Amino acid sequence: MLLYLLRQFSAVVFTLVAASFIIFLLVESSPGNVARKTLGPFATDAQVTILYERLNLDDPIIVRYGRWAGVLLGLNADPLADPELELNFEDSRGHKYIGNFGFSTMMKVPVADVIGARLVNSLWLAGLAVFCIVPLSLLIGTLGGLFAGRPIDRGLTIFSSVVASVPEFASAVILMSIFVLWLGWLPGTSPLQQGGTWPIHLQYILPVTVLTLYVTAYVSRFIRTSIKEVMASAYIRTAILKGLPWRRVVFVHAFRNAMIAPFTVILLQINWLISGVVVTEVVFAYPGIGRLLLEAALFGDIALIEAAALIAVCIAVSTQLIGDIGYMVLNPRIRFT
Amino acid sequence: MSKLGKHHPHIQVLQNDLESGGISRRDFLRTATLLGVSASAAYAMAGLAPQAMARAEAAVKGGKLRVASRLGDISDPHTYSWGQQIFVRQCLEQLTLTGNDNVTRPQLLEKWEASDDLKTWTLYLRKDVSWARDGRPFTADDVVWNLKRALDPATGSSTVGLFAGFIMENYETDETDDSGAKKKGQRLWRDDAITKLDDHTVVLNGKAPNLAIPESLFHQQLFMMDPADGGTFGIGSNFTGPYEIVEYEQGQRCLMQARSDYWGDGPYMEALEWVDLGDDPNAHLAALASNQIDGWPSVDNAALPAVQKLSGMKVYEALTANTGAVRMRVDEPPFDDPRVRRAMRCAVDTTAVLQFGLGSLGYEGEHHFVSKVHPEYAQIPRITRDVEKAKRLLEEAGHPDGIDAKLYLKSSPAWESQVVQTMIEQWKEAGIRIEMNPVPAAQYWEVWKKVPLGFTDWNHRPLGIMLYGLCFRTNGSWNESGYSNPEFDKALLEAEGQLDVNKRRETMAVLEQIMLDDGPVVQPVFRSIYGIYTDRLKNFTMHPTNYNYYKDVWLEAV
Repeated sequence: MLLYLLRQFSAVVFTLVAASFIIFLLVESSPGNVARKTLGPFATDAQVTILYERLNLDDPIIVRYGRWAGVLLGLNADPLADPELELNFEDSRGHKYIGNFGFSTMMKVPVADVIGARLVNSLWLAGLAVFCIVPLSLLIGTLGGLFAGRPIDRGLTIFSSVVASVPEFASAVILMSIFVLWLGWLPGTSPLQQGGTWPIHLQYILPVTVLTLYVTAYVSRFIRTSIKEVMASAYIRTAILKGLPWRRVVFVHAFRNAMIAPFTVILLQINWLISGVVVTEVVFAYPGIGRLLLEAALFGDIALIEAAALIAVCIAVSTQLIGDIGYMVLNPRIRFT
Repeated sequence: MSKLGKHHPHIQVLQNDLESGGISRRDFLRTATLLGVSASAAYAMAGLAPQAMARAEAAVKGGKLRVASRLGDISDPHTYSWGQQIFVRQCLEQLTLTGNDNVTRPQLLEKWEASDDLKTWTLYLRKDVSWARDGRPFTADDVVWNLKRALDPATGSSTVGLFAGFIMENYETDETDDSGAKKKGQRLWRDDAITKLDDHTVVLNGKAPNLAIPESLFHQQLFMMDPADGGTFGIGSNFTGPYEIVEYEQGQRCLMQARSDYWGDGPYMEALEWVDLGDDPNAHLAALASNQIDGWPSVDNAALPAVQKLSGMKVYEALTANTGAVRMRVDEPPFDDPRVRRAMRCAVDTTAVLQFGLGSLGYEGEHHFVSKVHPEYAQIPRITRDVEKAKRLLEEAGHPDGIDAKLYLKSSPAWESQVVQTMIEQWKEAGIRIEMNPVPAAQYWEVWKKVPLGFTDWNHRPLGIMLYGLCFRTNGSWNESGYSNPEFDKALLEAEGQLDVNKRRETMAVLEQIMLDDGPVVQPVFRSIYGIYTDRLKNFTMHPTNYNYYKDVWLEAV
């Protein structure tokens, strides 16, 4: 068991290192000069040349990656903080600390100052969405699976198919039209600013609803199929025939086995909910990490893209690790292989 | 130079011209105010009522106005590039102010005077302005420091391009380029080019006449900062304006609080709140509809039909010289041949581009950047679409089978792609095969001065010659096409120093014709810009560059 966990953990570390290198390679190799991106479009060519030389951007990519990783691990200071460059980049945490992603050239502040609050916002959004998605998906999926082929299943299937096929930007606009423009019950955007006419908790309703509808429709289909298969298996038939109460058959015997496949899907959705909800965050002007990543990519803010992408990878591998552990709990066969 | 209290000698000439019908009232207003006549006196001389000013007796004090705005880095005002100046101008002020009527007035100045030859400009500072943080008076030392900093090429301010012909000189630096040749630099043409005369007087000693100095002092980057802040701005920085930034969360929110001891009129709103809703027009629409913001100063053209349907809102339109143009690098084939550049212009139908590309939200461009809203606009015969002529020009230039090129442009805003797409369809008929290559804005700004063919948008400037100085003067700081034409440079220098409105217009006709025959741009349209605010907002008029001053507005009680 311990060995298994160690093996999984090593795999996570290896994945993170490999992913960080690939991200660094992709971002640094994108068109354009890193020094130009740092100084912005209106800097003179002379300024760009000076910075290019001082940052040693002629070095091989592996050397530059080593320098970047050194800054991230707190071994080196970020060269952009060099006062001689006159970029006025200052970090209250000091020059060397673990988790130093460098400076955002778009915002001219340490990445750590920007990304923390945005990540927390995205975690809140994702958490609230998961809080709604899991019970709803279980309810819809289980009902569909238990009554497969009957009118209730057909009704739920139509609902899920329609909702899953409407993209987020479309469902956002539809919901806005109804609840903002027509009824006037909800705020149209979610900048999470206090002091306006709408309290912050109401600003969460529309983005959470959009995400919940989209993901619930998808996850509930998996649960339905899984429940349907399990309910048709021999051991369930035996349990029913030996006279166990129907509720016990479903919740004790069927449910646990039926959850293995949907569990993976839900975990994958958590990853997407935190770092991939760019559309929802943009439409509702929600200050999360997805919108930040989009803006950083459009601006060419290398440090911010690298940080956001690496965090997304961290979340992905963490959910994967949780998934592996979850499998062990749900399925003893995995535990002993 | 004229004596203090007396007007420039050319004012009498202008008055005579106005009376004899030689110049229009608008021409008189523009030139007289540039020569130092106060706006109210100029309006009176022209027999016009001054623009309505804030009616203080009707004003309502207090409340908060919430306006949508992108909120990025604001740390270096002398290099602002993406619109920070729209909200920061509520805190930092400038020496002059070009109003909605395109007439330039003093802001931190009390008045200015030009020498008879327009080479020496004397700037008289207001004596009642003080810095908000420490109460220190605003002095000539502050002005000299800010002007010198903005005009230092190391700062990276585009102000250099505007003042280059007037007060800068090119010189060979000690550094050498890859070929071993000495690198060229720019510096003030002499040590006393910007001089403090006394605590409240600054003199600009130029090498060439320039009439547009007061308007150039209103350049979007030329804010007056406290030298003690070292050229940076943020919470805690000193300022002379009516509002102070008390909270600033990049990409999210900015809160400004009214200053109680402001030297001028207003402010009426107790607080201004700027909210960053990103670039998505849907988010802005939804925020307006649910009363989360009171105004959206830069309405996306595509969203205009929808915002016009919102109740309780008022849409403002400003007729501007805001434009977008395809520009060709004159040192890159095939655009190094003027005939190819002319063919590009001949093959375009500006009427159709305006209609299909811009939804008729503007007016036609004339391929020379000077617009009918510019006072020195000279009406010259326009280029009309002539596909056969375009083909002939290409053939003469050695391209009988037409040309192929890739055009770089920003992937947003949408109007740019629509305008370019319309032209691409028109060019095809003349054998000009252009492939559109949209890239994110950040990537575009990396290559905008390098690619052979690009599409760049340009903000409104009150004078056509300001755009010429920035975009087409040899070595101009934003000369993205590498255009260099001694004949053009000479005429531009002449126009910058011409007092006689009609003569200046004649020179402008020469400049515009050079643009049509030899110039590096295809400029099909000028854009109108739109803003939307709650109809409770009073005393607001929209500035053509959205340089609105919210100190003059108030919200009517519900």
